Amino acid sequence: MALPLKAAHASETEDFESSRNIVKFTVFKGSDQNHAQKAELASFEEALLPHLDAAHNLARWLLRNEQDAEDVVQEAYLRAFKSFGGFHGSNGRAWLLTIVRNTSYTLLKKNRAADLITTFDDEIHAPGHESVSPATILENSEDAELIREAMDELPAEFREILVLRHQEGLSYKEIADIAQIPPGTVMSRLARARGKLKEYLAARIGKEK
Amino acid sequence: MNCEEATKLMDGYLDSELDPITSQKIEQHLRECPKCDQAYKIHGSLIRVIGNATPYYKVPAELREQIQSSLRDAVGAKDKGGSGQPGQLSVPRPQGERRPVLSQVPWNWLALAATIMLGALITAVFLPRMRPPNADQFLATQLIASHVRSLMANHLMDVPSSDQHTVKPWLDAKLDFAAPVADLSSQGFPLIGGRLDYLNNHSVAALVYQKRKHFINLFIWPTTPEDSTAQTMVEREGYHLVHWSDGDFTYWAVSDVNPSDLQNFKQLFEQQTARH
Ligand SMILES: [Zn+2]
Repeated sequence: MALPLKAAHASETEDFESSRNIVKFTVFKGSDQNHAQKAELASFEEALLPHLDAAHNLARWLLRNEQDAEDVVQEAYLRAFKSFGGFHGSNGRAWLLTIVRNTSYTLLKKNRAADLITTFDDEIHAPGHESVSPATILENSEDAELIREAMDELPAEFREILVLRHQEGLSYKEIADIAQIPPGTVMSRLARARGKLKEYLAARIGKEK
Repeated sequence: MNCEEATKLMDGYLDSELDPITSQKIEQHLRECPKCDQAYKIHGSLIRVIGNATPYYKVPAELREQIQSSLRDAVGAKDKGGSGQPGQLSVPRPQGERRPVLSQVPWNWLALAATIMLGALITAVFLPRMRPPNADQFLATQLIASHVRSLMANHLMDVPSSDQHTVKPWLDAKLDFAAPVADLSSQGFPLIGGRLDYLNNHSVAALVYQKRKHFINLFIWPTTPEDSTAQTMVEREGYHLVHWSDGDFTYWAVSDVNPSDLQNFKQLFEQQTARH
């Protein structure tokens, strides 16, 4: 929390004294604060409750577990409410999803570090799926359960980018902001994620045959 | 364009995220190359079908209710002086929010208050309310991140031009506000381009100026009630941030040039735009 902030026009001692008085002067009075906070809650709810589904969907895909997703969404909303004063803008969904994403990763890192590492799964990379044609994948690609299994095999950074693009329809720039990667990286990561998803789907289809 | 380049850019083309010139080049390649055209069509339909068939996990109704009640609890806890736990989860409460007693206020909050208040005094602007310190820190972090990213990702400019009459219309078309643009080349700060950027997930204009080998990113957005109207200069992580406001717009200049150059830049920009 400590960070070096410098007053631009500082002539230290006396200015610090005067600012001290002003700080005292602006100390909140109880009832004004009540009123302000209720108004803040109302505008918060109006701006961010419409994105509950998006928040839950992202958390659910990242954590692959309903209970964890619910905990994260709840915590993310409380965090968002606390920093709502710092949010100025119209893109509440992207702002909220950034918080959901960060909260999800905190939990992932704490509980299941293994999830964040891309594992090489022998079963998935078993030979045979090279023979599955794109047409066959296409035939099976409306099978939601098959897609869910294949998605869940992907590393978190791929699940996240696929959800943000395919399900939320966000722009590359919004994705870059939420996933905290350079805008130039979004296209290549998305291409790799899609490639892996196709590969995993093909592997599952090949196995079922 | 060859097949390798076309393959590399295919996802961007599919998502309509390429600039018009690159898109045209891809389209031309797809017309001339049946192999890439076929790959594009298959990839495109697969992505669309997969995207539509991916399960979407809507929020359970109980969670929606639980969140709404936790939020109300959080407000209630604040009413009681900030000592209560918000909701069922223990969310770390930023220290700066415990504001009623001066002695509890951390030193850096005081420093920030000093900065804001001093600025308010100097500009003789009455500050309607204290902003939470986290908002400013968050903003400063984001501004520096955007500045660094613009330099690193080779994405300094969307519209590379030293002509303000090219940069301004480009930005005006992309944004829902008309950001002031000034040409300061004769004063040693040549304009080299403009960019559309996002801060707090909000579209902002970024003007890029050069001072010798250094770059200055000037972020501009319409002032909202949340924006501080005080003038400030902040030094962080080796960068300087200068903030000012002209009533309509909020400005943040970020650079690694020395602070006096940045102040000078700010004054020149203000002088130039005040004439319009
Ligand atoms: Zn080709």
